[in-house]
Amino acid sequence: MTPTKTGTGKTPPPETIDNVFPRHSGKTYALAEVMPGETPMVGKGPEGTVFSYPVVLLWEVVLFLGVTLSVFLFSLFKSAPLEEIANPLVTTDPAKAPWYFLGLQEMLEHMHPLAAGVLLPGAFIAFLVAVPYVDGACAGAGRWFGSTRPLRSARRHVGWIALYGLVVMPAYIALDNAFTLRELLRGSAPQWIAQGLAPGGILVVLVLLPAVVVRLRRAPAREVVMALFTVMFVAAVVFTVSGFLFRGPGFELHWPWRMPDGYNPWDAL
Amino acid sequence: MDSNDFADRLTASRIWRSVFRHGWSGSPLDRSLATTSNVFFHLHPVKVDRRSLRWSYTFGLGIISAILFLVLLFTGALLMFYYVPSVERAYPAMKEIQLSVPLGQFTRNMHRWAAHLMVLTVVLHMARVFYTGAYKPPREFNWVVGVFLLLLTLALSFTGYLTPWDQLAYWAITVGTNIAGYIPLLGTALKQALIGGVEVGQSSLIRFYTLHVAVLPAIMSLLIAVHLWRVRKDGGLAANERVEEE
Repeated sequence: MTPTKTGTGKTPPPETIDNVFPRHSGKTYALAEVMPGETPMVGKGPEGTVFSYPVVLLWEVVLFLGVTLSVFLFSLFKSAPLEEIANPLVTTDPAKAPWYFLGLQEMLEHMHPLAAGVLLPGAFIAFLVAVPYVDGACAGAGRWFGSTRPLRSARRHVGWIALYGLVVMPAYIALDNAFTLRELLRGSAPQWIAQGLAPGGILVVLVLLPAVVVRLRRAPAREVVMALFTVMFVAAVVFTVSGFLFRGPGFELHWPWRMPDGYNPWDAL
Repeated sequence: MDSNDFADRLTASRIWRSVFRHGWSGSPLDRSLATTSNVFFHLHPVKVDRRSLRWSYTFGLGIISAILFLVLLFTGALLMFYYVPSVERAYPAMKEIQLSVPLGQFTRNMHRWAAHLMVLTVVLHMARVFYTGAYKPPREFNWVVGVFLLLLTLALSFTGYLTPWDQLAYWAITVGTNIAGYIPLLGTALKQALIGGVEVGQSSLIRFYTLHVAVLPAIMSLLIAVHLWRVRKDGGLAANERVEEE
């Protein structure tokens, strides 16, 4: 529905049924017309709907053909890997989990497995489940980066926070790899601090920081949740990419194009 | 008798009418019935808002994930004809599929790449739903269903990863299940229940296989149906709620 410009240059409010048939005008009569139409959309303005059959069905068939054809063509040119038969006595180097768990495996390099493999991923899943119950405001639904505030600020926030994550998370991995906090604290702090609280806590603070800043600027819950999601999502991507592309033999950090021993991370998909 | 004539007579026949109880005239009534009187298609609403069909809104990621699931069911069933989940026979069966089964290598390729792609599209679909605020009321519960579908996708992919029984599979599952062992209190028990012993072996292979070809796909199919049905029950895509203000 496109709002029409009036002579005063103002855009009239969106046309709803109330504008056409005023309810409290005190009139004892109303203007009505019988229309040939497709659905009785009572109480709604002019609608912009199409029939699922055949419009949506056709789109689905097109998508089905497109997706299948893409996988089909890719499968013609690239074969699935098959290595030597499983041998419990010979460990592969590196021994990597499937790529979608390499973010976890990367985290295992930096802290105790309880924090890296259970508590932090568990918190991420719990956060995902809780999202709609933390941010229950309906405004902004159905719009990319929609918020209860004007669109521009929310979109800019997401951009900055994503950039922050792309800088901070690789830095965390590289710095911890260079100085190994666990080793620095060994002996001077109890193990649960050296292995768990210190490296895990730093990561948690890095994740929470943008959300705290957004919250302090009195942004609505939607933008706080968006800040948290963005950092966590970017962190998950960075850790996964690091584990997949940058970890070579011995699970040591290397540039993907300068892997020792001819190791190619892509062979292990 | 031309083809139109034939089509008319066919769709008017008693046998045809016993399957499809509506006509194909293209009238609004027939188009509505085509959706509501079909068990598969009735997961859709009769009519959808044009705004929810915008490519730049959804990128089709949800449907693409569902399509990939269908591709995986089909290619997976073909692979099951040849695969044997036994430590002695699994790897030779893989070799046989790749070397002597007609289109065996190709079918396996499609299964593997579709599986990787599905993990990717499901994750991207979640990000799309998040950034468009489509989890907001009344769609909270469907978002939660979606989170479980994501976890199921990972579980399906992970259990399938062991089946080739090569070094890649064996050590990936060893590394992966070791992580589960660190869960406090339950960890060791959970890990042992998952791999059926202290290390990955025959009991792990048969457990992973059963989960991969029966248990998880069944749950997945049901949950996908619930997910799609809830989209309709919750008023279609959130794009429908969008208020044009700019």
